[in-house]
Amino acid sequence: MSSETASSNGTLLKVDNLEKHFPIRRGILWEKTVGAVKAVDGVSFAVAEGETLGLVGESGSGKSTTGYCILQLVKPTSGSINFMGKELTELGREDLRRMRREMQIVFQDPYASLDPRMTVGGIVAEPLEVHGIGTRRSRGEQVRKLLDIVGFNPNFTNRYPHEFSGGQRQRIGVARALALNPKLIVCDEPVSALDVSIQAQILNLLKDLQRDFGLTYLFISHDLAVVRTMSDRIAVMNQGKLVEVGTAEQVYHEPKDEYTKALFAAVPVPDPHRQRERKAERARLRAESRAESGDGAVTA
Amino acid sequence: MAVDRREAAIPVAAPPATTEHAAGAAIRQSSLWQDAWRRFLQNKGAVVAAIVFILMCLYCLLIPGFWKIPGIWTSLKDYDPNAVDFSQSYAGFSLDHPFSTDKFGRDLFARVAQGGQISIAIGFAATFMILVIGVVYGSISGFVGGRVDNGMMRFLDALYGLPYLPFAIITTQILSPSGSVSVWTMVVALTIASWFTAARVVRGQVITLKENDYVRAAKAVGARWYRVLARHLLPNTLGILVIAIFLELPGVVLGEAFLSFIGLGINPPTASWGSIAQDGREAYRLHPEVLFIPCLAIATLVLCANFIADGLRDALDPRTRET
Repeated sequence: MSSETASSNGTLLKVDNLEKHFPIRRGILWEKTVGAVKAVDGVSFAVAEGETLGLVGESGSGKSTTGYCILQLVKPTSGSINFMGKELTELGREDLRRMRREMQIVFQDPYASLDPRMTVGGIVAEPLEVHGIGTRRSRGEQVRKLLDIVGFNPNFTNRYPHEFSGGQRQRIGVARALALNPKLIVCDEPVSALDVSIQAQILNLLKDLQRDFGLTYLFISHDLAVVRTMSDRIAVMNQGKLVEVGTAEQVYHEPKDEYTKALFAAVPVPDPHRQRERKAERARLRAESRAESGDGAVTA
Repeated sequence: MAVDRREAAIPVAAPPATTEHAAGAAIRQSSLWQDAWRRFLQNKGAVVAAIVFILMCLYCLLIPGFWKIPGIWTSLKDYDPNAVDFSQSYAGFSLDHPFSTDKFGRDLFARVAQGGQISIAIGFAATFMILVIGVVYGSISGFVGGRVDNGMMRFLDALYGLPYLPFAIITTQILSPSGSVSVWTMVVALTIASWFTAARVVRGQVITLKENDYVRAAKAVGARWYRVLARHLLPNTLGILVIAIFLELPGVVLGEAFLSFIGLGINPPTASWGSIAQDGREAYRLHPEVLFIPCLAIATLVLCANFIADGLRDALDPRTRET
């Protein structure tokens, strides 16, 4: 179900038995931990250099938390994250800061991920400033270059993010992620907040960048079509667990796991007759899986 | 002549080298502050309130003592707010005394202005201190989170339970055992009695912003905590703080006026609006203007501050901006 490596030569990221539990606390003065939400519950996978691993699952399945854990934006409860031969969970603060140059993130909502009080130039220059790369002037040049690469007019560096559309803002977000020339970029639903026509542009941009800079993507999305076009391999998550990993075509055409089957059956098709058939098929699948897991224990 | 012309020609010849730059500069750029300023100017009520507010401040600053309009008021008596003249006691409205006089014959036009200085100065000083304490306390609480946050907020809840004015009165008495209450004593007392709300507002804002993706992005990039706080969290709290100034001001001014009115504020003969109103209370049936005028001043200031706060909130709050 889990483990397995596609191309063990040149593995960039190896996640082993990753767990993230959010404690549920009660009490006003003295908080007691009364339980835990298992957002990520024993996930293991590996990503080879230069490939794109798609991570799919419904909302709340722990995809984003997995991404945050890998980047150490959220401290994992347990498990190991091996990135470029280093164990991220054991790194000291300064070592981790240095490692951040190699791994970046593109967020879902381009309206929330850019500081409204900073100019576009300031936002893209921030990673360079934080790591003390270059002088003020060379940073300015670098920023213009980066914006040009992502297809954003470099003359707009001293304008503010709220003056741009979602697609343009997402380009700014991509430029920021690219600024440190990282190896790995976690794309956390990078297009799900955008119009369909803009989605294609951003996806193409990401593909071009991958080709030009040899990037490795962990591509998180709930949109199966998007994941399929982007990914070399697909990992399916459900309720914090990895239920299936395989090549994109394999997972898409011959899913092994029941949940994956149900997930793919839920994709609507633009044909009412075919859609009706699929609906019936979906009902059958649901009934089957209920029968399998005893008496429909897990929902919601 | 010829030299002049050639010198003038140089800047004309220069542009080709900077056309690209000029093209970039020609693009309209506006920060959120500029946008907010434009929106504020569109709010008629707030603009009128701001103008009245500024005029009142100017009146308070300029009238007492050192400013007389040449040709009109030079012939009049010096507007000394503390000059006693019993022959002019309750003189009524006149050119000499546009706001009448009190029972000691002190000119109220000058006295209300001087009292305004004290009231507004205390108002702004206390508001400033409230915000400083609020920002420090609130951002520590919100930023650190967890147990620290919990403890700090429960402490605040306990303080909230104390009634505002008795708290302020007791503080003034503790700070000035001799009974002579100075301006600074008032500022400190009012600050101590009313900084909680500001702290809570800042904490709430910091907690909301902390979960924002751009803060996460800064952390992902490797920004240290003080950079996150200074570059992302506090600048985004600034709008709320500007609003908070004008929301806190009325409460502080009213608190000061109340303390002075019941005789626990600034010591006479120094006037504040509250103490002038107190002086007027003794004879308000015969000379209502002596009570009415300082009260009107307080009311106007408070109303203006509220209107300005409203206008600022509409201008700065990003949610109302979207509509």
